[in-house]
Amino acid sequence: MDLSYVKKLIKLVSESEVDEVEIEEQGKKIRVVKSKPNIVATVPVASLSQQAAMEAPIAAPVAQPPAAAPSAAPAPSKSSHHEIRSPIVGTFYRSPGPDAAPFVDIGSSISTGTVLCIVEAMKLMNEIESDVSGKIVKVMVENGQPVEYDQVLFIVDKP
Amino acid sequence: MFKKVLIANRGEIALRIIRVCKQFGIRTVAVYSKADSDSLHVRFADEAVCIGPPPGKESYLKIPRIMAAAEITNVDAIHPGYGFLAENASFAEICTTSGIKFIGPSPEMIMAMGDKALAKDTMKKAGVPVVPGSEGVLKSTEEGLEIAKAVGFPVIIKAVAGGGGRGMRIVREDSEFDNAFKTAQHEAQQGFNNPDVYLEKYVEEPRHVEIQVFGDRHGNVIHLGERDCSVQRRHQKLIEESPSPAVDENLRQRMGEAAIKGCKAVNYENAGTIEFLVDKNGDFYFMEMNTRIQVEHPVTEQVTGHDLIKLQLQVAAGAKLPRRKIVPRGHAIECRINAEDPFTDFRPSPGKITDFHMPGGFGVRVDTHSYAGYHVPPYYDSLIAKLVVFAQTREGAINKMASALDEFTIQGIKTTIPFHRQVMRNEKFRSGKFDTGFLNSFQIVPEESP
Repeated sequence: MDLSYVKKLIKLVSESEVDEVEIEEQGKKIRVVKSKPNIVATVPVASLSQQAAMEAPIAAPVAQPPAAAPSAAPAPSKSSHHEIRSPIVGTFYRSPGPDAAPFVDIGSSISTGTVLCIVEAMKLMNEIESDVSGKIVKVMVENGQPVEYDQVLFIVDKP
Repeated sequence: MFKKVLIANRGEIALRIIRVCKQFGIRTVAVYSKADSDSLHVRFADEAVCIGPPPGKESYLKIPRIMAAAEITNVDAIHPGYGFLAENASFAEICTTSGIKFIGPSPEMIMAMGDKALAKDTMKKAGVPVVPGSEGVLKSTEEGLEIAKAVGFPVIIKAVAGGGGRGMRIVREDSEFDNAFKTAQHEAQQGFNNPDVYLEKYVEEPRHVEIQVFGDRHGNVIHLGERDCSVQRRHQKLIEESPSPAVDENLRQRMGEAAIKGCKAVNYENAGTIEFLVDKNGDFYFMEMNTRIQVEHPVTEQVTGHDLIKLQLQVAAGAKLPRRKIVPRGHAIECRINAEDPFTDFRPSPGKITDFHMPGGFGVRVDTHSYAGYHVPPYYDSLIAKLVVFAQTREGAINKMASALDEFTIQGIKTTIPFHRQVMRNEKFRSGKFDTGFLNSFQIVPEESP
């Protein structure tokens, strides 16, 4: 598959309102997905090939392994990583109270709606809930640190 | 003096306030939406907090987020700038109860002047001349028509909660009244969620002349002369100047005294502007009061030698206003440069500025947040720069403005620079004999694109 074609397609998707484009021709398939804020390009090669999926030259995430190829070994697959961002401004707390255990830790399994942390603003404790299921792989903020709107709080590995 | 100030605004005014704070050694906190991450006010503030996505409603108008930002950065005062929350009494109230000084008047003063009918009533009681009309809200068409006949046509029906030129209807004779009344009420309900309207004599060929006032926390009130803002398009000011070509020393004194009377009646604190209509006979009538610093404040600064933002901070921190009478000298003009295409009915022109060169020199000032490479976002007002000139005479100022505009280069987007250049060369404008109807008869001449 022509790399410049892939690049053009990625640019097209990122600049448009479209979230996902999948093109299949002559046995080759390419799917470009816009998952906020990173764009992930997956280029499953023909199922006969043992080759792992090609990596797209933008953003950090690596390409997803093709579902159709049984032998394709998943490369360190960061494209399934989801960033949980703060919807408000305030102070970040990992536990419900000063002496309590943290809501979640690295390795914790979470599902949609799980309370992950508290962001306190103007004396109001706002519980921040997860919008995905998965496992916490990274905690991006320290306890007691001020956070701004859209600041990344956790990285979640989605199944 | 405050140690740390949060600027609850964006664009050129945020940068303006940050500059003054820096001069005082006050630490600054900028708040910004995701659309303003590369904005100059974010760059030059000591700290910056992202408070939301691009839409104003989700960011600059979001009181909880702004207060949270103020809390995590530990500021002792907030400057609201103009627009956004500057005249929001709840916001001023919340600041006060949070122990943060709101740089402006009290919530009560904001409320008193925010209700147009109440403001007019308050001024009238204080002895300030007002436009004759209804005593408050009109209860019915019949009542309105009676008052209209007593006051004399033409009259204007206005929304009590209105502003910015919306929710208004001019009526020239009895037969039109009922329709206009009902339409105005409907528009008011739609636009401001409040159908209440009042009525005033419609002052013909008026000039818009406003007086800059200042009150301190010790009961002193001063005025800093007038600004003529008659060059307006759809009630939006485009060009302002001080002094007004229509105001002589005698009128200035009378208007100034009236403005001070009005302010004392409400114990006004900090910067404010009282807008008057001046008719062809030199009679002036109170129109409304703006309880904030205004866009065109630089024009007053140039002719009085006083930094008004600095004065706002000082007064808010408890300082007394200067005792000596402030006498304007020379002449200053401001042109608002907007990201709009004056050749296609001022259609907004957001986008990337590819080339940006400002004029300069003695008596040439540019207040702007724009630069080459800056993306003018589509979410906010279109003001990208204020070009202010100062000279000894009005003619000198006009000529200086004309050459400064010739030099001012902004490429990549359309701006109103060509419009201003044409106005500076316009006979009527140069004569000084024009009113708020000026732009109705002004025709922009198509030019070859540069």
